[in-house]
Amino acid sequence: MSSFRPLHRSVRLLFRKEVRQFLRSRQAVLTGLLLPAMVMVVAPGVQLLSANSARARSNIPAVVPGLSGINDVANIFLYFTFPLFVVLAGLMTPSLAAVHTVISERERRSIELLVALPVSVTDIVTAKLGANLAVSAVTLAPLFAVDAALILLVTTAGPLFVMAAFLVLLSALTASIGVSLLLALVARDFRTANNLNGAFVLPTIIVTGLCVALVPGLWRFLVLAVLLLAMGGAALWIALRWLTFERYLS
Amino acid sequence: MPTAIAFQSVTKRYRNGKVALNSVSWSVEVGSRVCLLGPNGAGKSTSIRLLEGALAPTAGSVGLLGVAVGGRGYDEARLRTGIVPQGPGMYPDLTAAEYLQLAADLYGVSTERAVHTVGLREYLHLRMAELSGGFQRRVVLAAALIAEPELLLLDEPTVGLDPKASHDVHQYLTAVMQGRTCLLCTHNLAEAEALCDQVIILQEGRVIVSGRLDELRRGARPRLRLAARQGPEALRARLDQVGPVHVDGTGVLVEVADPTTAAPMLLRRLLDAGLDVYECTPVRATLEDLFLEAVR
Repeated sequence: MSSFRPLHRSVRLLFRKEVRQFLRSRQAVLTGLLLPAMVMVVAPGVQLLSANSARARSNIPAVVPGLSGINDVANIFLYFTFPLFVVLAGLMTPSLAAVHTVISERERRSIELLVALPVSVTDIVTAKLGANLAVSAVTLAPLFAVDAALILLVTTAGPLFVMAAFLVLLSALTASIGVSLLLALVARDFRTANNLNGAFVLPTIIVTGLCVALVPGLWRFLVLAVLLLAMGGAALWIALRWLTFERYLS
Repeated sequence: MPTAIAFQSVTKRYRNGKVALNSVSWSVEVGSRVCLLGPNGAGKSTSIRLLEGALAPTAGSVGLLGVAVGGRGYDEARLRTGIVPQGPGMYPDLTAAEYLQLAADLYGVSTERAVHTVGLREYLHLRMAELSGGFQRRVVLAAALIAEPELLLLDEPTVGLDPKASHDVHQYLTAVMQGRTCLLCTHNLAEAEALCDQVIILQEGRVIVSGRLDELRRGARPRLRLAARQGPEALRARLDQVGPVHVDGTGVLVEVADPTTAAPMLLRRLLDAGLDVYECTPVRATLEDLFLEAVR
């Protein structure tokens, strides 16, 4: 098995092929663009604007350390709901895209066409995950910019908050590499892949919810980023240690 | 003779415990055309996967064009190797030209010559999944030939094709295999016989036969094919003492030590017994005979 070489010419050529195919796949584009648009802009945007116009006061018990002292609904959105959306978009968008690019290749046996070329399976999977990550990042970055502009315009949060939230997004995207790889090696068909993706959402939301509820101030973003990276690292370790690339071809 | 492919005490055990290859050793010399035969699950495709570098052996070593698979120099050896995979799926979103261009870029060459060799020029703009089975296989063959490789690995190149497409691909293979070292994995024994001069037969992960086809044929016991108006059972009843007799359609095959002396003697005996023999032909052992005998 050849080594991991993300910048090698072979990986760059395969990466171009993956991006080209991704952009041609209606299903992949819908998943890769609509889902993040909904999760990153539409849902939080509506919540933010309604919370801001209502100026309502919430009734959060003081025992929740992360939210003590936050009574304004707009701030609850900023410190509790918004990170959930960011994590979901950053983690789920690349892994859902991976369902289309990685699983479909295996399901229709076109992976054989690639393995026959002078590239390693490591190169193939690297290019696929890289392409998913790149397409997701390119999609999410402008969407996050819309969020950031909204937050800076209509709330009291400053640039530090936006940077902290961006750190969470970057961590979620990085963690998605491990999640996508795990998904690619475990799932043999679309249904299993989608089920696994779904099964991953619940613990992600719980961990994120616990983190933002328990850690105060902007620290919650840092802790969340570390947790996401740990989760992605664990997924990567499981994928490489127990599953290995052989499974992708079996 | 330098070796193009070398398996040395190779064992491949999958994670589910299945042993695909069990301490096998075989080699392919430069310039020879070798056929890898075996029933399903014998370890043929695993052998190709090991040569591709897609799998790693559990024990032993695999060599490709003089270097260890996965070791130093392997990437360069792969650039001198063309691989036709077994029944690959086709991309619905890439044209034949785009796939071949990817192959050409990876090998660092142009697509021109390979496209010309397999007659694909008018079909390049079509999406791969839209091509007929025969043309899909031509695309795969073109990708394998794109860098004028000195070694060709062909994994069931005509499997799943209709007779016409299979014939076409066979014609191309006949042309491109000339002057190249080739390893052909196939179930099609007639194809193997026509294209190869050596054979390796695997069964349950072990090599059970290995050698030149003509030598193996010479080693096989000669047979006579006899047919009579009274039918094969009547012939069998009279020939049981001569040697092993197998019914073969309307006639029988009987093993003899020397057809030139056995044929007149048997004919006389059968005609004297009142059988109307209308066929008596010495039969050369086919690859199918050798294969069936080996795996029985």
